Order: sequence, then structure tokens, then C-alpha cells
Amino acid sequence: MGQLVVNGLALGSIYALVALGLLMIFNTVQIVNFAQGQLLMLGAFIGISGAVTHELPIALSWIITMAAMALVGIVFMVLVYLPLRGRPPFLVILTTIAMGIVLENLALIIWGPLPVSLPSPVHGTPLRFAGVIISMHQVFTFATLAVILLLQFVLLTRTRFGILMQATAQDLHTARLVGIPVRRTIAVAFAFGAMLSGIAGLLVAPIFLAEPTMGGSLGLKGFVVSVIGGFGNLPGAVIGGLFLGLIETFGARYISSNFRDAYAFIVMIGVLVAWPRGIFGEKISEKV
Amino acid sequence: MKISPFLLLCAAATLAIPVFTHDGYVIQLLNIAILNAIVVLGLNYATGWTGQINFAQAAFYGLGAYTTAIATKAGIPWIAAPFLSVLIVVIASLILALPTLRLRTHYLAMTTIGFGEIVRLIIVHWEPVTGGTSGLRAIPGISFFGFGPQGQIQHYYLLLAALAVAVIVAVRIRHSTLGRAMIATKDSEIGAEQSGVDIVRIKLFAFMIGAVYAGLAGCLYASSIRFVSPDSFSGTQAILLMMMLIVGGMGSIPGCIVGAVALTLLPEILRFLGQWYLVLYGLGVICIIVLAPGGLASAASVARVRWVGQR
Repeated sequence: MGQLVVNGLALGSIYALVALGLLMIFNTVQIVNFAQGQLLMLGAFIGISGAVTHELPIALSWIITMAAMALVGIVFMVLVYLPLRGRPPFLVILTTIAMGIVLENLALIIWGPLPVSLPSPVHGTPLRFAGVIISMHQVFTFATLAVILLLQFVLLTRTRFGILMQATAQDLHTARLVGIPVRRTIAVAFAFGAMLSGIAGLLVAPIFLAEPTMGGSLGLKGFVVSVIGGFGNLPGAVIGGLFLGLIETFGARYISSNFRDAYAFIVMIGVLVAWPRGIFGEKISEKV
Repeated sequence: MKISPFLLLCAAATLAIPVFTHDGYVIQLLNIAILNAIVVLGLNYATGWTGQINFAQAAFYGLGAYTTAIATKAGIPWIAAPFLSVLIVVIASLILALPTLRLRTHYLAMTTIGFGEIVRLIIVHWEPVTGGTSGLRAIPGISFFGFGPQGQIQHYYLLLAALAVAVIVAVRIRHSTLGRAMIATKDSEIGAEQSGVDIVRIKLFAFMIGAVYAGLAGCLYASSIRFVSPDSFSGTQAILLMMMLIVGGMGSIPGCIVGAVALTLLPEILRFLGQWYLVLYGLGVICIIVLAPGGLASAASVARVRWVGQR
């Protein structure tokens, strides 16, 4: 029982990280990035290229991955966001889906279809208490989530940049009129969002193996979390992520492991029927 | 849609295809393209005309196909199969639509993706009935009133007839009060409501008519291909159907058909590209969304205006 809670929370932390990456982009440009899972996969594979193929120290390959992902985020913005400014959100959703297909198949061409493992950056004997085993990697995952949550909270609410982002999100044209460097703000949001999913990828790869098709379902879990927590809601994303991790772990153990992926969607549809804007509410609701 | 000489030419060419090729593989591929065209025409009601994103269309397609497969394998006469498929699909679309009609854009996208995934998981894991991942084989063929098409070419003409009916119904609906209400809902929900359109009802109709198209196409799929597997109705297929609609041109009936046929045949024609095909396909779709948001249909009409002059 205690073990299931720990495993569920560890899985949930990864979902929360995916959702935090989505939130970063959504909070600035109101775009739901349906390729977030593929960005995660890309992060995992860049990490593997560094740490496994080129045998770099794991810390160094983490730094390389984060830098590379920030760059990918900016390229992503140039290819997907800039040409589609002001178009119906529906078309933007489809473009990000198409981008996900491109990334997934490029990864298949570059790295092949076989699953690969990435070593964890931390070693050491698992912690044991009261019969519950917590691996060092799980401890590291929780710590990473906590640090990122804190950083993101400070960034969004306590810094000048966070205010610029909020202004951009609320009204892009007015933001530009009052002299906010809108494009730069958006670029930073995309870079940061992609970097967060890259980190999620680096954390997932040591637990499950990394393969080019891993992104689809993890990306969708990120949305389910965002929906449960309310799009753009920071505490909502984290609580929603942990909650979903627990639901999946317990559902797989006590109901049926075959329908593991269905629980997320059932919970999401249930939440939407009861609270159409998520349990914790949307930060900025869709403009009419 | 006026009956133009160009349209007649297209129809004649389509009817004549089996004269030029007896390759069973080509005809089989065309049959699948026609079925996809019917499904995409169905998707067009909710997405193209009413402006509601819908990734559940592949699931409705699958529900229709599996209903027919299971029913006819159990010995129920074929003539009952389309009705059963439609019944199941209508019930499923009500289950999906009633709680989700109020949702918009990404929420609707996610809910329909989730619905499709749940349907797929049920098909995959309900093995005794659905055959699991290996699917169902040896499904009885089409037969009604002593008539049963034999071979690919007879199926080709039968499916063409079904497509023709689907197109005629779509044209009729487009120019009815219902069709205009759908377009109004897409253009402005608030505006439509102010003009007395019950937008919730219109969205429900759009979803259900689309689901019925998918259900009937699924029924024909099961009994003409005679093999169903969960892969044919997965989330990937749902995205592919949406891409067919985008590439062909949202809201355009000829666009739906062209998009469905193009994206069914292209992977086979470009097989030599291997994995690169999917990379190019993704980039191609992005280019179309950015450069020609109305798809090939709008590109064609722009070209016509430019070179032939407006008629």
C-alpha cells in the first residue's frame, strides 16, 4: 500500500512536469502544445546520445540536453507558432499534432525503433522505511519537481519576466503597445516549456525505457493533468499530476492493469462534466 | 453543387478505373479510399461545418465495423448489420456528446481523443468477443435479397454507390436550414444563438450525423474487407482522418473526397521513402495549414480564378 503511494507519486511527478511544460507555453500564448510528449521523447534521446553513445558524464549530458531543448523550443516557436498567430486555436492544435508526427518519425530515423535505457544521475542504496522502498531515482524525481515548481512559481509571480508573460497572455496587442518585447517573451516561454519536457524525458528514461513512440501517451497524460488541474494553473498542475499518478497506480493494482491508460481519460471526462474549467479553474479563460 | 461538365468527367473517370486495372491490390486500396472518404464526409459535419474538433471519428468507424463483424459472425443476416451498426454508433455518440457539447477547443479535442482511446482499449482487451489485437477474420460478406457482390471490382461499384449517396445527403443537408445553422454555429456561436439557432442541438446533430456516416462506413468496411483489427481504428487513424479533412479542405465536399483519396493512396505510392514519408507528411500538413488553410479545395478555386477567370 505504502509502496503503491510512493510509486504513484513518482509517476505523478513526471506527469506534473509534462503539465508544467505545457503550462509555460499555454500561459503565454494560449496554445495547447499537442507535441509536448514528443518534446519529452526528444529530451530523453538527446540525453541518451550524450550519456550512453558518447559516454559523457551524466551531469554534463543533462546540461547539454537542457540547452538543446531550449533551442528546440525556439525552433518550435518559429515553425509552429509564428506562422499561425491569430489563426483559430483548432488549426494551431492540428499543427502541433503534425509537428509531433514529424518529431516522432525523425527520432525513428535517427535513433531506430529499439527501446534504450538511460542511467539515472543518482546512485546509492534505496531508502527503506516501514517496509516501503524508495529508490534514489524516485527521491531525485521528487526533488527535481519541487525545485522546478519553486523556480517556476518565483519566475511567474515574483519577477519582472513573469509579469511580462502575464501581460502577453492577457492581451498580446496591448502588451506590445506598452512596449513589452512580446516576441522575446514568447521565445523564452517556448524555450522553458521545451526544457521542462526535456527534463521530464531525462527522468522517465531510467524508469521506463526510451523509445521514439513513447511521447504520445505521456503527452496526453500531461493534458489530462492540465485539464484536471485547470489549464495554466500552477498548483493545479502539480496536484493534478500527483493525483493522476496515484489513480493509475492504484487502478492498475486493484481494478485492471489492462485499462491503465483509460483511467486517466475517464477521470478527465468526469472532471470536465462536473467542472468544465478544471477543479482549480483556468488562469486565463478563453476569449470570446 | 451544380452538375458541371468537370464533375461528369470525374464521375466517368472514376467509373472507368476498373476497365484499366484489374490489379486486386489497387482496387482494394481504392475501396479503402472510398470508405475513408465517407468517414471524412461524416467528420466534415462536426469539424468542417460546425467547427467542433472531433478525434472520435475513428472510434465510431471502429464501433460500426466491429458491430457488423461480431453480429454477422454470430449468424445474424447481413441486412440487419447496418441497422445494428448505426444503433450502436448513435448510442455511443450520445454518450460522448451529451456531456461534452459545452466544451471547446482543447477540452473537446482531449475528450474525443480520450473517448477514442477508451474504445480502442475495450476492443483490444475484450478478447473473447473482439479477438483482441489480432482482430476478427473471415467476416461474412455483404448479401441482401439474394444479391452479394463478388470480387474487388463489384465491391468497388457498390462502395462508389454508397459514397454517391453520402455525397447527395451531404449536399442536401448543406443547403437546408440545418446546414446553414451548422455554418452559423461555426462562424459565431453567440451570433447563431441570437438568430434563434439552438447551438447545442445543432452540435449534437452534427456529431450524430457524422457518427452515422462512420458507423455505416465501418459496417461496409467489415463486410467488404472481411477483416477488422484495432489498428485500423486507433488514435493514429483519428488524426489521419482529420488530416484528410484539412488537406482536402474543411467544409468542402469535393475536398473531403480528394483529401481522403490522396492520403490513402500517397503512403503506397511513396512507399520507397520509408520512414521519411511520415516526416514529409507532417511537414506537408503544416505547409497546407499555414499556406492554404482551406486545403486543396481552396487552392484549386484560387487557381481557377487566376487562370480561367471567375465563373
